Amino acid sequence: MRVSEKKTVIETKALTRIYSLGDSEVIGISSINLEIAARELVVLKGNSGSGKSTLLSLLSGLDRPTSGELKVAGHDLIKAPEEQLTRFRREVVGMVFQNFNLLPTLSVLENVCLPALLAGGWPEKIEPKAIDLLQWLGLGDRMAHQPAQLSGGEMQRTAIARALINDPAIILADEPTGNLDSRNGQLVIQLLAELHRTRERTVIIATHSNLADAFATMEICLKDGMITDTTCEV
Amino acid sequence: MRSLVFFLRLFSWFSLRHIGKHWFQAMLVLFGIALGAAVFTSVRLSVHASLRSFTSSMNHIAGRTEKVLARPGGFLPESLVSAIINHPSVRNASPMLSGYVQHFGADKEPFLLIGIDPILDRPFRSWQIAKGKPRKVGMWLDLLKEPYTLILGGALARQYGYAPGEKIKLEHSRQTVDFRIVGVLAPENLALAEGGRLALTDIATFQEFTGLYGKIDRIDLRLQPEQTAENFQNIVSTLPPGVIMSSPSERRESGQAMIRAYQLNLSILSFASLFVGMFLVYSLVALNAASRRHELAILRSTGASARLLFLIFLAQGTVFGLAGWLLAIPISSFLIKYLLHGVSQTISTLFVRVTVEQLSLNSWEIFLSFMVTIFISVLAAYLPAREAMQVSPKEALSIAEHSEQADKPTLRLAGLGIFFIVLVWPLSKLPGYAGVPLPGYIATLLLFTGFAMLSPWILEQLGKALAPKLRRLGGMPAYLAGRYIRGSGNRTAISVGALITAVALFVSLVIMIHSFRQTVQLWAYQTVSGDLFATTKMGEVNQFRYPLSPEVIRTLTTLDAPVDLVPNRRYFLNYGKFPYEFELLDVVTFLRYGSYVWLKGPSETAIHRLISGDGVIVSEVFSNRTGLTVGDLFRAQIETSLVELPILGVVRDYRTQGGVVFYAMPHFKRRFHDPKWGGVRFFLRNRNQNLDAAVVSLRREIIEKCGDQLGMISGKELRQSILKVFDETFAITTILLFIAFVIAALGITTTLAVLVLERTSQLNTLYAVGASFGQIRRMIFWESILMVIAGETAGFLCGLILSYLLVFVINRQSFGWTFLYGLDLKALVFSLPLIILTALMAALPAIRLVFRQPPAMLLRER
Amino acid sequence: MKAPFLQQKSHKRKTLIFGILLLSLGTVLQLFAADDSGYFSVTGPCNLEFPKDHGSHSGYRTEWWYYTGNVDSENGNRFGFQLTFFRSQLSPAGASRHWPKPASQWRTQHIYLAHAAISDLAGGRHLHAEESSRGALGLAGVALNETRITTVHLKNWYAKIGPENQHLKAATDRFAFDLELIPTKKPILHGEAGYSRKGRASESASCYYSFTRLKTRGSLTLNGKTFAVEGLSWMDHEFSTAPLEPGIVGWDWFSLILSDRTELMVYVLRQKDGTINPASSGTFVDPDGNSRHLTKEEFRVLVLDSWKSPNSEALYPVRWRLSVFPLSMELSIVSNLADQELQTTESTGVTYWEGSVSITGTANDHRIEGQGYVELTGYAKAFDAPM
Repeated sequence: MRVSEKKTVIETKALTRIYSLGDSEVIGISSINLEIAARELVVLKGNSGSGKSTLLSLLSGLDRPTSGELKVAGHDLIKAPEEQLTRFRREVVGMVFQNFNLLPTLSVLENVCLPALLAGGWPEKIEPKAIDLLQWLGLGDRMAHQPAQLSGGEMQRTAIARALINDPAIILADEPTGNLDSRNGQLVIQLLAELHRTRERTVIIATHSNLADAFATMEICLKDGMITDTTCEV
Repeated sequence: MRSLVFFLRLFSWFSLRHIGKHWFQAMLVLFGIALGAAVFTSVRLSVHASLRSFTSSMNHIAGRTEKVLARPGGFLPESLVSAIINHPSVRNASPMLSGYVQHFGADKEPFLLIGIDPILDRPFRSWQIAKGKPRKVGMWLDLLKEPYTLILGGALARQYGYAPGEKIKLEHSRQTVDFRIVGVLAPENLALAEGGRLALTDIATFQEFTGLYGKIDRIDLRLQPEQTAENFQNIVSTLPPGVIMSSPSERRESGQAMIRAYQLNLSILSFASLFVGMFLVYSLVALNAASRRHELAILRSTGASARLLFLIFLAQGTVFGLAGWLLAIPISSFLIKYLLHGVSQTISTLFVRVTVEQLSLNSWEIFLSFMVTIFISVLAAYLPAREAMQVSPKEALSIAEHSEQADKPTLRLAGLGIFFIVLVWPLSKLPGYAGVPLPGYIATLLLFTGFAMLSPWILEQLGKALAPKLRRLGGMPAYLAGRYIRGSGNRTAISVGALITAVALFVSLVIMIHSFRQTVQLWAYQTVSGDLFATTKMGEVNQFRYPLSPEVIRTLTTLDAPVDLVPNRRYFLNYGKFPYEFELLDVVTFLRYGSYVWLKGPSETAIHRLISGDGVIVSEVFSNRTGLTVGDLFRAQIETSLVELPILGVVRDYRTQGGVVFYAMPHFKRRFHDPKWGGVRFFLRNRNQNLDAAVVSLRREIIEKCGDQLGMISGKELRQSILKVFDETFAITTILLFIAFVIAALGITTTLAVLVLERTSQLNTLYAVGASFGQIRRMIFWESILMVIAGETAGFLCGLILSYLLVFVINRQSFGWTFLYGLDLKALVFSLPLIILTALMAALPAIRLVFRQPPAMLLRER
Repeated sequence: MKAPFLQQKSHKRKTLIFGILLLSLGTVLQLFAADDSGYFSVTGPCNLEFPKDHGSHSGYRTEWWYYTGNVDSENGNRFGFQLTFFRSQLSPAGASRHWPKPASQWRTQHIYLAHAAISDLAGGRHLHAEESSRGALGLAGVALNETRITTVHLKNWYAKIGPENQHLKAATDRFAFDLELIPTKKPILHGEAGYSRKGRASESASCYYSFTRLKTRGSLTLNGKTFAVEGLSWMDHEFSTAPLEPGIVGWDWFSLILSDRTELMVYVLRQKDGTINPASSGTFVDPDGNSRHLTKEEFRVLVLDSWKSPNSEALYPVRWRLSVFPLSMELSIVSNLADQELQTTESTGVTYWEGSVSITGTANDHRIEGQGYVELTGYAKAFDAPM
């Protein structure tokens, strides 16, 4: 594990999340200490159930930890009230999901615009930006389509555009290639890497594939909810 | 502003498009809420039209009258007019006579003939003759100048096609006479009373036509401006005995109070359909909230606040309410055509005569229906909206853990439900207020709510107890259905709650109507006994104020046919504001053939004392409304006599225009004054002959000897007509019930559709692990069977309690009567399985929904 | 003559009110002209006998009892008063044969109307009221009792005509009077022994007599204040069936009580073309109660001044010069109050002017003065009384 000299955007101390399932308890992650500097491309690795998604959901403010400390881009997510968390999700992070999570009733363009509109932006300002993004992602001719009419790769690119619409400092991707064939998977990883390189974003990709290894500036391995120092065995 | 625009945009993207995709369900729900709103609106508008017509009629007839002199149940001597008119406190006085007459040979629908002195009446009522061809000044003077002339109301002139100058033949109890039509009333002021079904004539003509020489109904007064209490007392003290001064608003108010109470009762009944409609909205919005849980999570993860989601779902409810209300407009305009006539007919039969010419759109009623519909829909969306608010954004990550969707404490809810149900008991003991059974209605609401809260627990227990048995009965699908129902939580319970409501309404109304009808039938056969009833023509509509002439009485008492006569006289009076009839009859002869349906004090001594004129017996309604009961003293001014008699007993009676007090006629004549015969009923002495034929020949004999002077109806026809009125009255109730049912069936369809769609992935999994389409469909079918059975059982129980409330609390509080409780087993045994069948039919569309899309498609989407 | 109801040209009237009811020689009567037959008509000697002829004359279409007078209160306030009863017959006498038998007590052929007015000359106010009723059930009627007193009444207003004195009573919510009148001369029969011509045809006439000088004493109440009053009054009683002759638009009628114990009655029938109908005439009564008939040619009336009513917009004369040539009489007559107009919306529906006047002048070179009443009809347009 390397410690960066650059500005820290993510900092966790003894971060723990435990789920209760009926009478039993399941450990999501346990005592994670982490510091991630700005403009890193982090690959988060681990098997199914290792805690990758749990960690991402905590980092993105989708979920709250059971204990520990968590600071992302200056926001203390432990203490943040619900409204601040909502604002954080809108403005600080952009999420890309394994199953794309596009809203089926909205068109591609509308899906992309949605977070900016939720953040209270002017539609006339948002739309050109969304169109730019979509064109950059090669979806210029797909903007009026419904998600159901898209291929997997197109859906994920739409999701990436949506993640970028509010200019977030951090992009969090949860198994972004999981539902894609290898060619499209490659394409998505290249896009994320390009974001990191040319647009200077912090990108965190949780995956158990090796597609992103070549672009990583940092690699974190999870096993049974804890960071392992040994090499990642996937 | 921007945020509102954005909200509407998001609402349209997220909700409207979704609704558009599932338009069929949405239409069902819309139709349901629209039906509910339409029934509610049209019922209220119809009653309102009657209320308005009644009020304006009363106001137009009262005109500028300040006080009214009348003698309860009788007439005033016309000589009183000149005495009153010269009284220093009196500014103007106008004598009036009015009665219902009919156009000879026409539709026999009676209309009001008003007899006034056009000169004395001038300060009181305004009217004009409509402009016509033979136009000359002072046409109205012909009323005074020429006997048998009248001015016809506009509606009558149109209906019968008469023009000024023509003759119209009018029929009254005494005679049939040709009247010359002097003119037609211009449609304003007095001419608007009774919906224009009236005619004006001179008071002299009225007396000569009806034979009421020397008599007037009432004197309307306008007092000198500076009227002191002393002067007022002064007038009252100069009045002959039995003459009472009242204010014209009193009769109007008592009539209005009756119609308003009826409006509330019908509103509440019609509200039931809106209530069921609410369940529908609930189930669809809940379906949206549940089946789109993942989408909600995505929205949340992209930055939507929980409040935004809450508002979106609340907006869904609002949109359903709004669209439902709009859709209700055409439905209402269709419904109202039926209801307007039916309701005014019912009010005329039950309470006071109203003539509704047309619907009056009342902005308050429209606003009310709008608000109620919107409120109900928003309320229905509230719970699902709350649930949508709870969706955690991390569910977007598809971490398959729904652990936080903890099971609701069904037992605690059930406890609360039972508490509500128990509350019904003390509530049912509270008195109603002014004919409005408010405690009864609150009890009903608590009952429904209580049972709805109980239903999750019932379902849980049902699932637990039945699952193993179901496996034997219906195999694996039945078993799975049982397991699902057991754990399905509140959502299923709400739909079951809707079913409970509908079934309970059905059961209780069936029981109530049955009990009511049975009791009315018993009453009709015992108390309205008699083989032939005779009164003066149009006696009933004129409140029997025209007694039989001595010649007629002589003829009737010397008939050849072997009959016993029970003469009677009915006075229509008021006890405070409460209207009742004081009925005198020959009790001895009556009791030989008929009897009373006793409620209190049916002892030998009571009957003996009644026969010997020691006291009166009163109807249950009279007793409940006035608070007087056995042992109390009944006091009333009847014509010239002040009657004071103890109450000996309380009997059931189902006359609709208030209560009844019975007293022995011979004793009244001896102790007070000669009441004259208002009518007679005949009992055939020989009960072993062909009674119908004997009545026909009796009737023939009377017509031969008395001519066409009497109104006659055979006892059989009379009793049939009583029951017919009864059935017609309940026709409206039945329609409302039917509509509530349609809505409940729609509810079952949506609920099951919800259950199917919500579990698409579960069902796919089942399919994946090897269940066949058939098995899965059977499973759904079993689920619906379980739900329907649970709903129906609980609904039946709830209905039994509700029927008790209806019979002994709500009816007592709103009409003052109760009935002999009777379970209509036959109707229930037939109808309950029919309801199950209907409910299961309603389940079919939902079952067909299963795998309407191929499973693979569904997998791809998620 | 005295029935102000000429000329209510009613063809424009929208409402059929009551208003129109009737009376008299006016157009209103023409309403009933269709069945003129059956009524008695005045065509010759009236053969008046008293007290019988103080009573009503059923069978004639119209009849009135007309009292006017000027009285002073103790404190010197001067008042004019008017009390009039009209009887109008709806159908000829024989019509009652076709009535239902038995007939209702309300059935009658007679309608009674009454007007009462007070001119408060000091206060400059004119108040009037009206009543109407059918002549049935003791509401209104005329009766002669065993003490030879004739009572004409409508509700609680009445005039009692006895052999020695007469009694008037009327009460409204704004004014009331209760007066005893003592005749100082026997009844004066106008025209030819009471047969008074109102046109060229012999049936254009009425039976007409007057008490021309009645000593008056009693009480008068105005807005709650009661005054003891004294003065002189005039009484007219007239009945007829005939409508006015065509072309007559109204009349000016004068009843003047003069200081030399004489009285003068004059009526001028005005025609449409501005001329005077030849039937216009008068009666002069000398101090002993002897009367002299005055023909149209024997007197002249000049109008000196007029007043426009703000209510009806009618232009009424209010100052006159009356010359009676055979008597060398030269009188200046002036109204004591300009506005003495009556708009009788509730009863006759007719607008007319009936008012107290003062007289100065000479007779045979003697200065005389006097007080009287003038009636002016046919000046106001027919108006639409609201129903």
